Amino acid sequence: MPSPFLTPGTRAQPDNIALLHLRRDQSIPTILRTQDDECQGYKEGKVTTTRFGVFPHSTMLDQPWGSQIAASKVDTGSRGRRPANPAKRKADELDESGTTTGVDDDTPVQKAVAAASGFLHMMYPTPEAWTLSLPHRTQVVYSPDYSYILHRLRVRAGGTIIEAGAGSGSFTHASVRAVFNGYPEEQQKKRKLGKVCSYEFHEQRAGRIREEISQHGLDGLVEVTHRDVCKDGFLLGDSETGSSPNATAVFLDLPAPWLALKHLVRKPASGGPSPLDPSSTVYICTFSPCLEQVEKTVRVMRQLSWLNIEMVEVQDHRIDVKRERVGLETEGIRGATVFPTTVEEAADKLWAEEERAKILRSGSNKNLSPEETAALKEAEIAITESMKPKTSTPMYDLGRLVHRSEPELKSHTSYLVFAILPRDWTEEDEQKCREQWPPSKLDALQDKGKSKKQLKRESKSQRMAESIAKKTAEKAAEADAEADAETS
Amino acid sequence: MHSHIRPNQFCVLQLPSDQRRIIKLEPNTTVHLGKYGNFAANQVIGRPFYLTFEIQDTAEADGYKLRVVSATELHAENLIEEAEGDGEGEGDGNESGEGTPMRTNQTIIDSNSTQRLTWQEIEDLKKEAGGSGKAIIAKIMESHSAIDQKTAFSLAKYTLRKRKKYIKRFTIVPLDVSTLANFMLQEKDASKTMEMRDEHIGLLGCFGNVHHSGGTPLEAIPDMKPNGRYIVVDETGGLIVAAMAERMGILYPHDKDEEEEQSLAVEEQPEIPEESKDTRRQHVRPMSATNNTLTVIHAQTQPNLSLLKYFGYDTSAPDESHPLHTHLKSITWLQLVDPSRDPILATEPPVIPAEELAEMKTNKRSAYYFKRNRYQKVKSVSDEARAGEFDGLIAGTLFDPASVLKHVVPLLSGSAQVSIYSPYIEPLVQLMDYYSTGRRTAWINKKRDLESQKPAGGTLDLSSLYEEFTVNPTLLLPPTLHHARVRGWQVLPGRTHPLMTERGGAEGYLFHGTRVIPHEEAIQAAGTFRKKRKLESTSTPTNDRDVVMS
Repeated sequence: MPSPFLTPGTRAQPDNIALLHLRRDQSIPTILRTQDDECQGYKEGKVTTTRFGVFPHSTMLDQPWGSQIAASKVDTGSRGRRPANPAKRKADELDESGTTTGVDDDTPVQKAVAAASGFLHMMYPTPEAWTLSLPHRTQVVYSPDYSYILHRLRVRAGGTIIEAGAGSGSFTHASVRAVFNGYPEEQQKKRKLGKVCSYEFHEQRAGRIREEISQHGLDGLVEVTHRDVCKDGFLLGDSETGSSPNATAVFLDLPAPWLALKHLVRKPASGGPSPLDPSSTVYICTFSPCLEQVEKTVRVMRQLSWLNIEMVEVQDHRIDVKRERVGLETEGIRGATVFPTTVEEAADKLWAEEERAKILRSGSNKNLSPEETAALKEAEIAITESMKPKTSTPMYDLGRLVHRSEPELKSHTSYLVFAILPRDWTEEDEQKCREQWPPSKLDALQDKGKSKKQLKRESKSQRMAESIAKKTAEKAAEADAEADAETS
Repeated sequence: MHSHIRPNQFCVLQLPSDQRRIIKLEPNTTVHLGKYGNFAANQVIGRPFYLTFEIQDTAEADGYKLRVVSATELHAENLIEEAEGDGEGEGDGNESGEGTPMRTNQTIIDSNSTQRLTWQEIEDLKKEAGGSGKAIIAKIMESHSAIDQKTAFSLAKYTLRKRKKYIKRFTIVPLDVSTLANFMLQEKDASKTMEMRDEHIGLLGCFGNVHHSGGTPLEAIPDMKPNGRYIVVDETGGLIVAAMAERMGILYPHDKDEEEEQSLAVEEQPEIPEESKDTRRQHVRPMSATNNTLTVIHAQTQPNLSLLKYFGYDTSAPDESHPLHTHLKSITWLQLVDPSRDPILATEPPVIPAEELAEMKTNKRSAYYFKRNRYQKVKSVSDEARAGEFDGLIAGTLFDPASVLKHVVPLLSGSAQVSIYSPYIEPLVQLMDYYSTGRRTAWINKKRDLESQKPAGGTLDLSSLYEEFTVNPTLLLPPTLHHARVRGWQVLPGRTHPLMTERGGAEGYLFHGTRVIPHEEAIQAAGTFRKKRKLESTSTPTNDRDVVMS
């Protein structure tokens, strides 16, 4: 099955994972099914219930991705009792595999009836959306971090990356997208396919991530191994006799990454194969929240000949944009502050209020003639009119456009340590290379590589030399002429 | 692709002064490094990347003059220091001030006399001293009268400064998108690449969901459209195109599956038009791939993708074996928005029958082929682009981003990602406002009004709406604005702290959203979005109608 993460196609297919987008930062991941595989007992087949209504999967299947889906009227009262499996949480919904058969598989799925209100948007999953909606099992590596890490680790289509500490699977999904260049089963031609080798020392978490990978159609692209890499290394299959993943990039999200580094060398002490690709530079990144961890990691990296060791942190924040509605004309608008926007407006308002008070005071005088009362009223209306806004702006354009940071900042995620391990280079390699590229062979045309400054200097000195030569030649000629004259 | 240094490949030279240079290593030539000396290209070609070479004073028997500096040697000081640090750690008593007192700069007097060597003497040393500069450094340190007063930290700094100046070393780094971006940022005019940094490039590609399409035969997957098609608007001279092509596996000509790519491209190309069959050589048609493609929309007649030359792709002299030759398509805004006004598309060159063609002069015939091929190329790219169903939009543009989105968002398939980079926040803040909930609601209401007014069977004219709203705010959800910044640290035992100086300039912001397909009829929202304590203007209106138009 092609993965909706990588090749979603145009429409939602059965058994695809879809993200039901309710609002910003609120998406429900669900596996679309034609049948009620969770024995929920709805006549409409499998449904997903949200705060904005109930959505039978039959209304979503075969719809184009990104569609707005209307909620349906679903009979929630008279459905059959659920089988004994009481606690079903969001995360469980995902992990429910298709093997459980519904109670009444034979009864046809009833057509859903649209409800009066409520909708959501059905999206195909992307690693970014998945990161925001996945069931948290551990601390999650968020998009700003992993996008930078994958870029710096040069994780590209066709590459192999080791990820230790699969955790909640956020980084796993991002890295499988980065290495993806074809599904293994369709491979007819010989080319290297991208792969993620994921290690997790927590047995239950490893099982969960394995299930997720298979539900998301990523089997064969991600190999999950349950192992403590600090102790047992990175070989695939058996920890001692297994095969090398031939990784070109390594990401360590471990409590003590320095303990795992001894396995990530060109020639392991155990004598077994190295997990690294022998024909390529290897890039590494460790992800640790504390400085002490970083210092230990960097020290071991120096001892193990890693180069270009560099530590950075990614500071990221989201920016909220809103309209700050301040103004006297905003009366009656939700969220607005009724307050003058300029000094002039404030002065006008003060004046108008004073005038109005004056009118009110004189209005209370009972000895006024009807004409005078009418005049006062007119004056009051004139004041009120003058204070009204002159132009009408639509509601969405009202106020000042402002931006600010999101209310809650992730001000520190982790420190990232990057390093590079060049290929092994032996004396034999060097000798071979020297045979192919003779060290002292040079083409006649040598000015190519020289800098402009050098060329200028050289041409200048050449000109000087020429002019000197010319002068000496002239002098010699003169001398000759003189000598000739003398002799004659 | 970067397993070793290849001949005639562009790569980056890192010098002790932290300066970088892009050079093309041509076999049998000499590379000059100014004051750091020179070396023969042959002595590094074929060797792995990231090795540090030292230029020796005397050559070996075969003329080889370089020495690979081992990692242990590069880290030597830190390793020694760390080992000493371990020793100190054992006797904790020292820290309470019992042992040697901590050295400070209290007694150091600023004066020029501390260095006993005159510059003239140093100049002479440069000519004589060997040891690839190490001898000079040793001599300078020796002649410094106050060196024993320096604190460990300032001594380290001093040594580093001298080393940067005199040591004859260099490192060769592969030229990829990351190094090129940093090179442009530090050594060239950063504004040419919109001051884009690594963190922006990474986020731009991730938010755009740009990846290899898998090269799957289309029949294998039911209901599969050609996938991995992205629109790019790039005003960084090709850096964004290069970054996306790198993600899609079509940037490097030396890819291991290079031949594979080529054969795919040949398979993928549409039916070869009749007239080109009798040409002698079988050309790989440019811009002919259907999958895994980048479509660049540009404002000038030719796209400015000059940075791609570093990756072996030159638009003026196309290399047919380069994956970008088939996978990179370019189209002008005119060809996309209004093809009838485009000079190439408006007038199709007439097809001349083969017999007539055979009688033509060679130059006329080739002119005919040129025009015909160009028309077909532009036509197919334009038709394909206008048909839409793209998988994403990635932009870094000088335009007002809203005008790009107005035209491009309708060409995206549902759930496709939009990712826009801007060095400054203002254009993106404006864009965020164009997709605000208030505007979305107003658009829906006004559209409904228009629908009720339109005569039965007539077509709905939305141009008045576009005039008011610039973009259709119902097509993109949820508009998000991001800012990311990487901060570098120095990690040394007891001396770990953030770097003292870093590059300023543009901060760099990213806009991100997802294309959605609104239901034909407006659906009323349900449920209450608002939390009780949060009743500010940031909350979303409860339904599409409750916002009263003033």
